[in-house]
Amino acid sequence: MTFYFGDLLPFSGQLAAALWTSVYITLIAMAVGSAFGVLLYVGKTGSNRALRSVCWWYVEAFRNTPLLVQLYLIYFGLPELGVNLNPTWAGIVALTLNNAAYTAEIYRAGFEAVPHGLVEAGQALGMRRSQVFRHIELMPATRNVFPALTNQFILLFLASSIASIIGLPELMNAVLNINTQTYRTFEILAVGGGLYFVVSLILSLASKAAESFFFRWGVSGRA
Amino acid sequence: MITVKDLHKKFGSNEVLKGIDCHVDEQEVVCLIGPSGSGKSTFLRCLNGLETATSGTIEVNGHTITDKKTNVNVVRQQVGMVFQHFNLFPHLKVVDNVMLAPVKVGRTSKGEARAKAAALLDKVGLADKTNAYPGSLSGGQQQRVAIARALAMNPAVMLFDEPTSALDPEIVGEVLAVMKDLAREGMTMVVVTHEMGFAREVGDRAVFMDGGVIVEQGPPSQVFGDPQHTRTQNFLSKVL
Amino acid sequence: MLRSFNWLDLESLLRGAVWTIVLCVTAGVAGTVLGLLLGIASSSPSRVARWVASTYVLIIRGIPLLVIVFFAYFGIPLMFPDIDLSAFLTAVIALTVFATAYMAEIFRGSINAVPHGQTEAAQALGLNYARRLRFVVLPQAMRIAVPPGIGFLIALIKDSSLVTVIGFVELTRSGTTISNLTAEPILTYSVVAVLYFVICYGVSRLGSWYENRSGSRMDTTEAENQPHALQLEGV
Repeated sequence: MTFYFGDLLPFSGQLAAALWTSVYITLIAMAVGSAFGVLLYVGKTGSNRALRSVCWWYVEAFRNTPLLVQLYLIYFGLPELGVNLNPTWAGIVALTLNNAAYTAEIYRAGFEAVPHGLVEAGQALGMRRSQVFRHIELMPATRNVFPALTNQFILLFLASSIASIIGLPELMNAVLNINTQTYRTFEILAVGGGLYFVVSLILSLASKAAESFFFRWGVSGRA
Repeated sequence: MITVKDLHKKFGSNEVLKGIDCHVDEQEVVCLIGPSGSGKSTFLRCLNGLETATSGTIEVNGHTITDKKTNVNVVRQQVGMVFQHFNLFPHLKVVDNVMLAPVKVGRTSKGEARAKAAALLDKVGLADKTNAYPGSLSGGQQQRVAIARALAMNPAVMLFDEPTSALDPEIVGEVLAVMKDLAREGMTMVVVTHEMGFAREVGDRAVFMDGGVIVEQGPPSQVFGDPQHTRTQNFLSKVL
Repeated sequence: MLRSFNWLDLESLLRGAVWTIVLCVTAGVAGTVLGLLLGIASSSPSRVARWVASTYVLIIRGIPLLVIVFFAYFGIPLMFPDIDLSAFLTAVIALTVFATAYMAEIFRGSINAVPHGQTEAAQALGLNYARRLRFVVLPQAMRIAVPPGIGFLIALIKDSSLVTVIGFVELTRSGTTISNLTAEPILTYSVVAVLYFVICYGVSRLGSWYENRSGSRMDTTEAENQPHALQLEGV
């Protein structure tokens, strides 16, 4: 068996574009999904019983079913209800909703680890519950979960490849297309896998740098 | 300034406060002493509503905080509290710790709050730590920042919950010195403490609690010098 | 012709669910055994063993499972043209390759979590490396590995849906077939989702029950039992 990567050269532009698609759908899903995840956590621990139960079911439903099935429900199911999403939007929506459930669970651990004394200090200053949450708990909780969040970010990036199955033109999808055009199966899979690997590695390194940049206050020791 | 009548507090079936009556005058410095588990911290935490009284009434600065209609946050703005473990906000610089409540709760402008914070940090001797994060400070420095943070709201009363218990012995003094200054300026203070020297020297009144009740109270010279109850005598013989 | 969803469809979905379970148990067991070997290797005194193990773990955890599935699907027939591999075996191989890396990482972490004093005490008793591992370190590491191991098993069950792309008829694939026949994707995939939920939630309850019973509850939360993507430690 011989390997020849030359046939793939004409496709480098296509691969780069597809890689960018993978990255940006991941970024959207991460940003929107994380914010939504915090809201889910707030709902899950709030005082409204109905809301608590809805949030609990949301989180458990998304965490205990495959992303692919969620994607199918959104891409093939929603048109039955008159909502047609193209593959890109279906992919973004599925990844976002899925990520929110995991983020809510990650944040739960992070908030539980915030010392209760900080909350009391805020209360003693006369802050309302919402102010205590926003100004006092949110940042230490985020710091607590930052490694878990970036881990989730990388898992989400790898999981975005699943959207290729419904035809979202991201990296995995491009790899499969190029395979049918060139039959350089090993080579294109190696290149595709390599690109995923390199981006994951960069994300992993970047997250370490980001952690020490954003959370300088936590590096020299915890209060 | 503070009037407490027949205060009871239960945690489940465990009654921690069994009927406390107490009055604190303006500018008075009251030191709560007693063995651990005697209920003195719980009593203190009832005064700003961190614990909800099971029964009885508490009036602070004209507000009845045991009344459900009272907005407890309004009362808390007039009551500063200093904790055993400082509880500084780790993600905020020292100056931002002090400014947070005036800006977010007191609706003070940022410039004004910053000037006030600078003055308070100067007062507690930490003007040079304005832009440091709490994690880089020693325990004594953190506690002094916590005092400045509580003072930033211009409270009418300051509550201290064992403010020096988590500190190494050699830095207890710097925190007590700040508290002594406050007392001299006429701040009304309620202090839960194990520092008998401080209670004796700075306190206007010592209150000895044991088993959820006030056993004995009076001028420190009398409580320390001539305790009337055997429980007080026992306790003092162990700690002095 | 289109027809409506009926009881026979439910039956074939259940059959798909059984195949999903068979697939995950097979790959899970194989991945656990191989992962244990790699986990031991990556915490062993041998530099070569450590390097080989951690490189494997790093690479597999840095690429999507789909890439591994397609490698198995297209690659094995190219490399071994004489072997006619069934879709099931191809799926098992892909999932095993995947599970091995994640399980290896779990075992490496668990072995490292056993206090070093245990090793020293065993050394002081004159036990050699193999015996220290077998009688002192591994029994403790195994218990530590259970919660994250259960977490990974749940992830594996969900991820096994991806072998649908190579045509193996597990739960998701059964769903696709029926959805195409009935044109009722919402109903069909909802049933599929419920079946996955029952399996995954059941496994997670089983895990909590085990933790409570054995008292092996560490300060790990479910969130921390998420499989970890690649990290640079140990390379």
